[in-house]
Amino acid sequence: MTHHQVELTVNGSKVSMQVEPRQSLADALRSQLGLTGTHLGCEHGVCGACTIIVDGEPVRGCLMLGVQAEGAEVLTVEGVSPSEGLSPIQEALREHHGLQCGFCTPGMVMALHHLFTITPSPSEDEINEAISGQLCRCTGYQGIVSAAKAVAQKQRENRSHDTTVNGKENSCRSA
Amino acid sequence: MTIGARIPRVEDERFLRGEGRYVADIAMPFMVEAYVLRSPYPHAHIRSIDASEALALDGVEAVITASDLPDDLPPIPCRIPTHGDLGPYLQYPLARDRVRYVGEPIALIIAKSRAVCEDAAELVEIDFDPLPPVVDPEAAIKPDAALVHEAGNLAGRWGFDLGAVDDALKNATYVVSEKFSIQRHTAMPLETRGLIASYDVGRNLLDIHGPTKVVHTNRNVLAAMLGMGEAEIRMVEPDVGGSFGARGEFYPEDYLIPFAAIRLRKPVRWIEDRIEHFAAINHSRESAFEVTACADAEGMITAFDVRLVTDMGAFIRTHGDVVPSHAAASFPGPYRVRNYRIDAMTVMTNKTPTGTYRAPGMFEANFARERALDRLAAKIGIDPAELRRRNLIPADMMPWHVGTESVKRPTIFDSGNFPHVFERALEAYGWDAPIEREADGWLRGRGICALVEPSGLGPFEGVRIEVDQHGYATIFSGSSNQGQGHETVLAQIASSILGLPVEKIRVRHGDTGIITFGGGTYASRTAVLGGNAVHSAAVGIRDKALKTASAKFDIPLEELSLREGEIWHGGKNEPVISLGGIARMLMPGNPEFLKPPSDMNMPDNDGLVVTSYIRGVPGGTSAFAVHMADVLVDPRTGDTRVENYFVACDIGRQLNPLIVEGQLIGGVAQGIGGTFLEELTYSEDGQLTTGTFADYMMPNVYNMPPVGTLVLEETKAPGNVLGVKGVGEIGPSGVPAAIGNAIADALKATSGLNILPLTPERVLAAASTVERP
Repeated sequence: MTHHQVELTVNGSKVSMQVEPRQSLADALRSQLGLTGTHLGCEHGVCGACTIIVDGEPVRGCLMLGVQAEGAEVLTVEGVSPSEGLSPIQEALREHHGLQCGFCTPGMVMALHHLFTITPSPSEDEINEAISGQLCRCTGYQGIVSAAKAVAQKQRENRSHDTTVNGKENSCRSA
Repeated sequence: MTIGARIPRVEDERFLRGEGRYVADIAMPFMVEAYVLRSPYPHAHIRSIDASEALALDGVEAVITASDLPDDLPPIPCRIPTHGDLGPYLQYPLARDRVRYVGEPIALIIAKSRAVCEDAAELVEIDFDPLPPVVDPEAAIKPDAALVHEAGNLAGRWGFDLGAVDDALKNATYVVSEKFSIQRHTAMPLETRGLIASYDVGRNLLDIHGPTKVVHTNRNVLAAMLGMGEAEIRMVEPDVGGSFGARGEFYPEDYLIPFAAIRLRKPVRWIEDRIEHFAAINHSRESAFEVTACADAEGMITAFDVRLVTDMGAFIRTHGDVVPSHAAASFPGPYRVRNYRIDAMTVMTNKTPTGTYRAPGMFEANFARERALDRLAAKIGIDPAELRRRNLIPADMMPWHVGTESVKRPTIFDSGNFPHVFERALEAYGWDAPIEREADGWLRGRGICALVEPSGLGPFEGVRIEVDQHGYATIFSGSSNQGQGHETVLAQIASSILGLPVEKIRVRHGDTGIITFGGGTYASRTAVLGGNAVHSAAVGIRDKALKTASAKFDIPLEELSLREGEIWHGGKNEPVISLGGIARMLMPGNPEFLKPPSDMNMPDNDGLVVTSYIRGVPGGTSAFAVHMADVLVDPRTGDTRVENYFVACDIGRQLNPLIVEGQLIGGVAQGIGGTFLEELTYSEDGQLTTGTFADYMMPNVYNMPPVGTLVLEETKAPGNVLGVKGVGEIGPSGVPAAIGNAIADALKATSGLNILPLTPERVLAAASTVERP
């Protein structure tokens, strides 16, 4: 089978991958780039373990082909983790026991990362909606929702302490 | 004391950063990929297999069929004692001349990639001669049924007959007889299975990554099947994305992938996909109960008379008949009922073989018993909680011998004050609080389930603790971890003895190369048995360190103590020596002794290392739990909404409350899946019709009610020094009973709601039996 050269940006770095036309983006990220944090739980777009951010939108890495990623900006769990330690979302998930086996966790982190990017202090309804496409078999979701609520609360507190800059509120990209 | 501390888990950071290392994340040089070609028929003769076209495809390395396996290859054995001989029903790794379920492995295809394997699979020509499939277990035991196996479809019939059931039935004031059925569903961990096997031909060493749960047992089974020494095989558990009982048993692939690695002399990797997983992993739970329960005029339960039919699927797997065995042994639950009879049948069908899923047998038995008890309470005319209150086993009757046995071990409830915990639970939930019966046409009901969850079963567990010269301790555990948090809780136990922070205590597990014996992880046993072993080994480390310091510094032993990883002398301000310093002194060839102390070679120290194996109490230990729920029901549509869920339990002692809560809430989620959503359905012609996540519904965030917990440390388990009881299986165990009872209470229904899952259709059917104004 022929391979295609795909150029894209992954976690801020320009990279090039050789992919078969039938290879999923998640597969390509894992096997070509060694980014094994993106997990494959069902490969039919239901479980959400492979959730990544492509051009600012959450995407099922198993439902998008590698060849479709030409020129795309891709963000994976490796890209939202600080060089050491944990991001505020990750730290909250740990504090609230929002993970057990860890297999759904990268997808959950990405779904929440996207939520906090577009909605700095989301409501519980918004949190539920953001993770409604992510299956977790271990936790019963309670710890995950608590973690997200705690992050949202902290964001609200930070915002109320922040002074506005140029008439605009600071965005909360640190989440 | 670190035991009991509510601390976040030490293993979380790698998972959160995407740095967990699961089996599909491991690759090796020259590795090839495997694919299992599975039967599309539930029952058929295989006339011929022609793989020539597949073998001609570029990149294909081998197509292995049954004829390529050794003639004298034994079937995969049961690892647990069974009721009677189930030998005729065991499975061979590849189907030989007949297939018996959709998904049965027929051939193993090896190629340079999984995709090429799948291309090749299309080219394998198999000539099947279909046979009539046997799908329904009740039909399977009729005399004219087609045979799944020549030995007969009824694999086993056994039971117990305790006390005088017939007399009790004759003399009873109140009698109810109900039929219940629990649907086929299963663990469905979010990570599918996988293996990577590599073989060092020169040294005859086989390394396998991917096994979990019972790696030592599986290693020994594989050694026997391959004719290798046990120490020539190493099984290593990577990070594992959930098991819940199903994953990690010895499956056909656990033979096939190593066999292929030996034959091809290349590393072979097999990563199951989700569609395969649905047909290949052990299914569970499918069973039907007929329950007659009776009571005297005072509302004392006088007997249970039960018939149980369990669908075992097409083969008996490694668990044997443990699921119905546990159900039968523990059916009477937390009640002092001495007249108990059960007639249990295990039946073969042309469906995926079965095994355990979290709270095996207990989820099923609790549903049947507790629903029947609500019917009995209604008949007597008392509150459901009152019926249970009158019949709970009192504390002074502990230990309670049920009089049954499972897997050749007596069923004993070792301890507990059930009545006290029951009252605490009712009070914490507000069982007696008034309930608003109607809201916008919806009806509200409240339900309860009381149960005993056995744990800590199995013969033994072991650990070795090693302290290095820098003061780091490593626990080498014989048990396995699939997400439960062993790396934290085992470290907490050691920390409480050694005074080291948990960050300086590493836990390694699931690897036959690091400890000689291991029991593994099942039956909520790691805290109970593994925890006991860690405690014992840590005490051994402490004592060895203190004795060594006493001798070295000539200080009486009783004046020394170990705190925060250092040894202290009475009220002195400076520690005498660190644990790392002692470890250094005890190293063989200790560099402090430059000259040998004699002219002869002599035995030397063996390090600050202690191994401890703990033999389990035959009946394990038992936790008492109460589940309660408030449920809203729409009698017009059959729709339901669980408003509130609550679990109270007495687990003796908590090692880490955060993890205990997580186990309970996560367990309830699986119970909710089993109550409302999850079902592995088969068509009449034996095809699995819920074989994707689009058809097999698992709970998402919207399906979860708020779950409250009350965790008591009321009665310590007498059989282990920590006093702990298993908590992992309490969560799912009572959910369908508590919710079923709540729905019945809402509808005031006196029939129905006995068939799981409780779909809107079934709820509506129950609603329609009740006249409403």
